[in-house]
Amino acid sequence: MSPATPGPVPRLMAWIEERTGLSVLGELARKKRVPRHRHTFWYYLGGMTLFLFGIQVGTGILLLLYYRPSASEAFESVQFIMTRVPFGWLIRSIHSWSANLLVLAAFVHMFSVFFLKAYRKPRELTWLSGALLLFLMLAFGFSGYLLPWNTLAFFATQVGTQVAGAVPLVGPFMLRLLRGGDQVTGGTLTRFYGMHVAVLPALATVLVGAHLLLVQKHGMSVPPAVEKRRSESGGAPLSMPFFPNFLLRDLIGWVAALGILAALAALFPWELGTKADPFAPAPAGIRPEWYFAWMFQTLKLLPSHILGLEGEMLGVLGFGAGALMLLLVPFLDRAGEAPGRWDRLLLACGWAVVAFMAVMTLIVYLPAEG
Amino acid sequence: MRNSRLLLRSAPGWWLLLAVPAVVLLALLGAVHAAAAEPQHLAPGGPRPLETSCVSCHAQLDDALLEPTRHTGDDIHFLKGLSCHDCHGGNPAAGADGDPEAAHDRKLGWTGKPVRGQVPAFCARCHADAAFMKRFNPHTRIDQYSEYRTSVHGRRNAEGDERAAVCVDCHGVHSIRAVSDPRSPVYPTRVAETCGTCHADENRMRHYSLATTQYAEYRKSVHARALYEGGDTSAPTCNDCHGSHGAVPPGVENVAAVCGSCHGREATLFRETEAKLKLDLTPCIQCMVCHGNHAVSPPTDGMVGVGADSTCTGCHVEEDKGYKAAVRMADSIHGLVERLREASDRLDLAERAGVEVGPDRFALQEARDQLVEARVLVHSFDLERFLIAAQKGIAAADAGVAAGKRAAAELRTRRAGLGLSLVIIVAVIIALALKVREVDRKPAT
Repeated sequence: MSPATPGPVPRLMAWIEERTGLSVLGELARKKRVPRHRHTFWYYLGGMTLFLFGIQVGTGILLLLYYRPSASEAFESVQFIMTRVPFGWLIRSIHSWSANLLVLAAFVHMFSVFFLKAYRKPRELTWLSGALLLFLMLAFGFSGYLLPWNTLAFFATQVGTQVAGAVPLVGPFMLRLLRGGDQVTGGTLTRFYGMHVAVLPALATVLVGAHLLLVQKHGMSVPPAVEKRRSESGGAPLSMPFFPNFLLRDLIGWVAALGILAALAALFPWELGTKADPFAPAPAGIRPEWYFAWMFQTLKLLPSHILGLEGEMLGVLGFGAGALMLLLVPFLDRAGEAPGRWDRLLLACGWAVVAFMAVMTLIVYLPAEG
Repeated sequence: MRNSRLLLRSAPGWWLLLAVPAVVLLALLGAVHAAAAEPQHLAPGGPRPLETSCVSCHAQLDDALLEPTRHTGDDIHFLKGLSCHDCHGGNPAAGADGDPEAAHDRKLGWTGKPVRGQVPAFCARCHADAAFMKRFNPHTRIDQYSEYRTSVHGRRNAEGDERAAVCVDCHGVHSIRAVSDPRSPVYPTRVAETCGTCHADENRMRHYSLATTQYAEYRKSVHARALYEGGDTSAPTCNDCHGSHGAVPPGVENVAAVCGSCHGREATLFRETEAKLKLDLTPCIQCMVCHGNHAVSPPTDGMVGVGADSTCTGCHVEEDKGYKAAVRMADSIHGLVERLREASDRLDLAERAGVEVGPDRFALQEARDQLVEARVLVHSFDLERFLIAAQKGIAAADAGVAAGKRAAAELRTRRAGLGLSLVIIVAVIIALALKVREVDRKPAT
C-alpha cells in the first residue's frame, strides 16, 4: 500500500512555504507570550488602535471610489455617497466615528504606556514611533475634517491653519503651505486631500510597521511595580500565549468595537451639514474636533500679550514644546537608574497634563450642553 | 452854431469823459446785480466756515442769530466747504475788518433770512444748477425744484400758502445732513416720522381737510415692519409711493402703477387681465381694495376664497363665476400648503434621525416656488393659469412626501439591520468568550 498523497491545499501550502518561509511568523506567534497581571487590560489598547486604523483604511478606500476633491464637487460627492450609494451612509458614518474612536484609543494607549512606564529601555524607539503615530492620527483627523467641504469644517480649518500661522518665523510659510495661498480655498482642499490619502498613509504605513516590529522584538513591558512585587514575592511571572489566548481576547474587543461603530453609525449617522460658502460670515459656535478642543480653549484663554509677546504665539510655542517633551519622555525618565523624586515628578506631570486636557475640553463642551 | 461845431469837433474827448464813468458804473451795477442774483459760488476748498467773520461774529450773539454757528460741524454745506455767505450773500471780508454794516450790505448780495415762501427758490439757486452741483458730485440730481413745483406742496407754495411745506421743513435749516446719513430726517427710517410731523398733526391738517391717521396706519404695515424691524432700507416709506420733492397723493387711476413699481409681476398680471377682459377695472379693483393703503398688512392665503378673511367676497357673491373661482383657488392653495408642510415635516423627521435628505429638500423647493407663483397668479384672476402652477406645486410636494416616506422606510431598515448585526456580533462575542475559556483551560505546552 503506497502512502496517501497530500490534498491540493497542503500541497499549495508546502509550495508557498518552500518559497517564502512564512512559517517563521507562525512560529513566532506561537512562541510569543503576553504577561498576565492586574494591568494586562491596557495591552489591548494597542490592538484596538490598530484595528480601528484598519477600519479607517478599508472605509477610506471605499469612500475614495466616489469622493471628488474639489470645492465645487466635494460636498455634492459626499452627499451622493450618503444618499445614492448603497450603504454609502454606513461607510461614511463608520469612517467618521471610527476616526474619533481611533484618536481616543490612541490617546488612551499613549497614556497607559506612559503611566505603566512601558517606554523604558529598550523600548525608547517603540515609544518614539508610537508618539509620532499619535501626531499622525491627529494630522489625519485635521486633514480629513475639511474634505466634506461643509461650513463647519471650512471655518474650523480656517481657525486651525491660522494657529499654525502663529508659529514664530516659519508661521507665515506654514500657513501658506497648508492653505495653498492666503485663504482657505479649493486649493487647500486639494492639498488636504493629498495629505490625507497619500502622504499621511505612506508615513503611517512605515511607522506602524516599525512600531509593530519593535513591539514584536521587545515583547510587552511589565510595569516596574508589578515586577518589583513579583521579585519580592519570589513567584514566577505569569503569562499567556499570544496565539490564540491573547488574540482571541483582542478579537472580542474588535468585534465589540465593530458593534459600537455599527450602532453609532445607524443611530447617529455623521451629519453632513451645509455646503461651505467662503463668502458667508463664520457661523457662531465654531470649534474644532473634540481632540483639538483643549488646545483651542487654551489659546482662547491666553491673554493677547504676555511679557510683551503675543499670547497666541506663546501658546503655540508651548504646544510645540509639549510635543517635544512627549517624544523625549523615555530619555527624561531616569527611574530605571534612580527611582524616587524624579520618577514621582514625571508621573505628577503626566496627571497634570491629563487633568488640564480634560478640564479645557469640558469648558468647551459644557456650556453648549447647558 | 459855432459852439455846436466846436462841440462836435471835440466830441471824442467829451465821449470819452462820459463813456468811462458810464462803463465803470455799468460794470459796478452789473457786478452788484450778479452778486445779488448768483450765489457766491465758492468751490470746495474755499475759505472754511470757521475762518469767516460770519461765524466769529454770530458766535457772540444770542438765540436765532447764534443758532447757525452751532452746526458748522455737521451741516453738509459746511462740510463741503461752503459758508454762510454762499447762501446768504454779504461780505465776510468787511466783517473781518470790523465793519458789520458792510458785511451785511444788500448791494453786495446780502439777503438775510429768506422769506419762508421763497425758500425753495433760494435753495434752487444752487440745487437746480447742474454746473455748480457737479463740482460736488457729478451724479447728483438737480430736478428737485422742478419736481417740487409739480407737488401739492409746491403748488400751494406758488399760490402763496405760507403753511405749505418747503425744503427746510423736511431737510432742516442749518443742520442739513446728506440723505444717506441715518441722522438725516429724510433717511429712509426717518421719512415717515418727518412727514408725520405735519401730516399727523390735526391742527395743521384741519386747514386742508386731510386725515391724520396715515402715519399711525403706516407704522402697523408690513412695509414699516420690513423697514423698522427688518432693517431693510429699501422697504417702502412715504416717498416711495408718493414721491419726495414731487409728492402727490396717487390717484385711483395710478395706484396699481405705484404698487407695481415694486410689485412688478402682480401689476403686470393685473394689467393683462384688464386688457384681456377689455374692462376698465380702475374704479372698482385696485390694489388697495384688497390690501389697503397705508396699513398694508402681510398678505395671507385666507384673503383668497370665501372664508372669514376673504377679500374676494367683498365684490363676489355666491354662485357668480368669480366666487366659484375663488373657492377653487383657495382649495388649491390650502392643499398645496398642507402637502408642503407634510413633506417638510417628514423630511425634518428623517433628517433628525440622521438620514441625509439634502437633495430631497432641494427638490421640494420646486413646490415652494410654485406656491409663490400661484399666490402671485391670483392677481391674474385667471383660474386655469393659476391651477397649472398650483398643480405643479402639489406634484412637487407629493414627491417630497414620498421622499419623506422613503427616508422613514430607510430608517426602519437601518434599525432592523443594526438589530440583526448586533445579535450576530453578540453571538460572535459569546462564541469567542467560550473559546477563550477553552484555550485558557488547556495546559501550556
